[in-house]
Amino acid sequence: MYRADAVFAVLLLLGALVLILQALKLPVAWTEIGPGTGFFPFWLTVGVALHAALILVQSLRAPVPPGRAAPFIERESVRPLLVVFLPMVAVIGMLRYLGIYIGGGLYLAGYMIFVGRQRWVTVSLVSILLPVTLFFIFERWFLLLMPKGALLEYLLYGR
Amino acid sequence: MPSAFDNLIYGLGVALTPAHLTIAFVGLILGTAIGVLPGLGGTNGVALLLPLTFHLTPTAAIILLASVYWGSLFGGAITSILFNIPGEPWSVATTFDGHPLAQQGKPGIALTAAFTSSFIGAAVSIVLFTFFAPPLAEWALKFGPPENFAVLLLAFATFTGLGGGDPAKTLFMTLLGLLLSTVGFDIVSGAPRMNFGLVSLQSGINFIVIAIGLFGLGEIFLTVEEGLRLRGVRGRIGFRDLWETWKMFPRYWATLIRATILGFWIGVLPGTGATPASFMSYGLAKQFSKNPDRFGKGEVEGVIAPETAAHAAGIGALLPMVTLGIPGSPTAAVMLAGFFIWGLNPGALLFQNNREFIWGLIGSMYVANVLGVILVLTLVPLFAAINRIPFGILAPLIVILSSIGAYAVNNQVLDLWIMLGSGVMGYVFKKLKYPLAPLVVALVLGDMTEQALRQSLIMGQGSPTIFFTRPITLAFVLASIFLLLLPLIRSYRRRPRLPAPAI
Repeated sequence: MYRADAVFAVLLLLGALVLILQALKLPVAWTEIGPGTGFFPFWLTVGVALHAALILVQSLRAPVPPGRAAPFIERESVRPLLVVFLPMVAVIGMLRYLGIYIGGGLYLAGYMIFVGRQRWVTVSLVSILLPVTLFFIFERWFLLLMPKGALLEYLLYGR
Repeated sequence: MPSAFDNLIYGLGVALTPAHLTIAFVGLILGTAIGVLPGLGGTNGVALLLPLTFHLTPTAAIILLASVYWGSLFGGAITSILFNIPGEPWSVATTFDGHPLAQQGKPGIALTAAFTSSFIGAAVSIVLFTFFAPPLAEWALKFGPPENFAVLLLAFATFTGLGGGDPAKTLFMTLLGLLLSTVGFDIVSGAPRMNFGLVSLQSGINFIVIAIGLFGLGEIFLTVEEGLRLRGVRGRIGFRDLWETWKMFPRYWATLIRATILGFWIGVLPGTGATPASFMSYGLAKQFSKNPDRFGKGEVEGVIAPETAAHAAGIGALLPMVTLGIPGSPTAAVMLAGFFIWGLNPGALLFQNNREFIWGLIGSMYVANVLGVILVLTLVPLFAAINRIPFGILAPLIVILSSIGAYAVNNQVLDLWIMLGSGVMGYVFKKLKYPLAPLVVALVLGDMTEQALRQSLIMGQGSPTIFFTRPITLAFVLASIFLLLLPLIRSYRRRPRLPAPAI
């Protein structure tokens, strides 16, 4: 685990350096309105970078536990994690076409079939009824307009 | 000005109107369900419901969110005791003795003990709250920018000193939270900054989106990785359980008092909240007990101590929020974000300008606590049944609800990507033991901190000595320095760390 700690600290450090450069584009010093726009962000980025470095040093100095180090993610956990994660990326990526209700329904169905191993009846009932319920709760009851996507817009309003 | 007592009567009147009573009832049911469901926590639950409050009055909105919070505090105990799976981080300590009791065929006693002690811890804390909050708020009204900055500093230092996590990681997360709050535009000059030239980032990174990602998706990823297996004990509470448990309660008066005071105090400390309170209270009860070796094997006191403290802390966490504008826990931070959305300025002025809101909230604490304990005592089997929902349905459902919640805040798709990104980060952070609470609280307090700091520096013509020449400021600054140094002192003396995990 300590190696993951060190690797992650390096990534954080690199990210912090990018942010320092971003902050340096702003007036950092005293200006006519007091401390400049970049004053607060700049010193924060410096602090973030210093602490990332400190975490890195700590993780390198920590005693290595005896025996084979456990991997950051166990081999058998990789698949279930990807099964949750990748479809999310796909659905958000296609949000413009599918919308949150149809996209969400598909996500629900897919997960229930491939991970939950539910029966077809359950899958179709849940993945149709749930988005429909949510649709009524958000669009009608609470008047929160969600991205409906081209497909649902077409089905509902014919455009 | 009316006395606290008059105000309380007025607040109870506000909370007892049929509309508000219904909202509290719905909130409690939802909250308890959220507390019962693993992978869906109080912080995330409140964040998901926040968009639904946009069309409510602020008073109704805060009553809803607060009731969800109380409900989730109750609900966490149910899964801990019956399934040995903490529904919430603050109910981890409840599993230690609660589940053994359930396995010994006494689930009713464990549940009654948990709910009753929660009720007592909360009830006493609410009374403390009612009479501490107004004077504290009045005192805070005298604060200028340097005092405000010093209080915020103290809040951040508390994380490092008492949070129990790795000090370097805690400080890192605090600074990162503050840094994220600077993205968008400068609050003083209005100039765009830190947005990498992206127009959609100009309105800033929304706190709710980050909270949903970190706490909602991050938790889902962790649960998926660990694989969820529920093997539980069936539980219901009969009248005999009630009688037998309540008969035991007077015996534990010392534990109850200790746990309540400890919990309330830990809760009031900005940023700590119910989780460390429950662990510390469990540890204390074990230390003071005549038979500490019975702990972990089904000792009723081991259920009472953490539950009392967790609820007391939950109430205490709201005290700095309404008086100073500083949330005492991540869940309180989400509620604070709500204040801004509803157009309220959290802090001392609430007591002057928003009497209905603030006393309605306080009144609803009394009402919701009584209502809550009756609900959970009677409906345990129903809530436990929620856990029969297969995780294969629950996980994608939480993902969808999270996406809707994150999108509803600003109506932009970019927020969904930010949510997904913070979900991944939340997963990695949790695995590598970076505490999440400091990041979330710092993010919500970032604007306030920057404003206070810059105004103070302007007042002092650029010199930081202004933080050392004003008595209240100096006291807070010294306390902060002490807290920041505390981990160093502690490691020097090689005392064992607090038994609390990173939160």
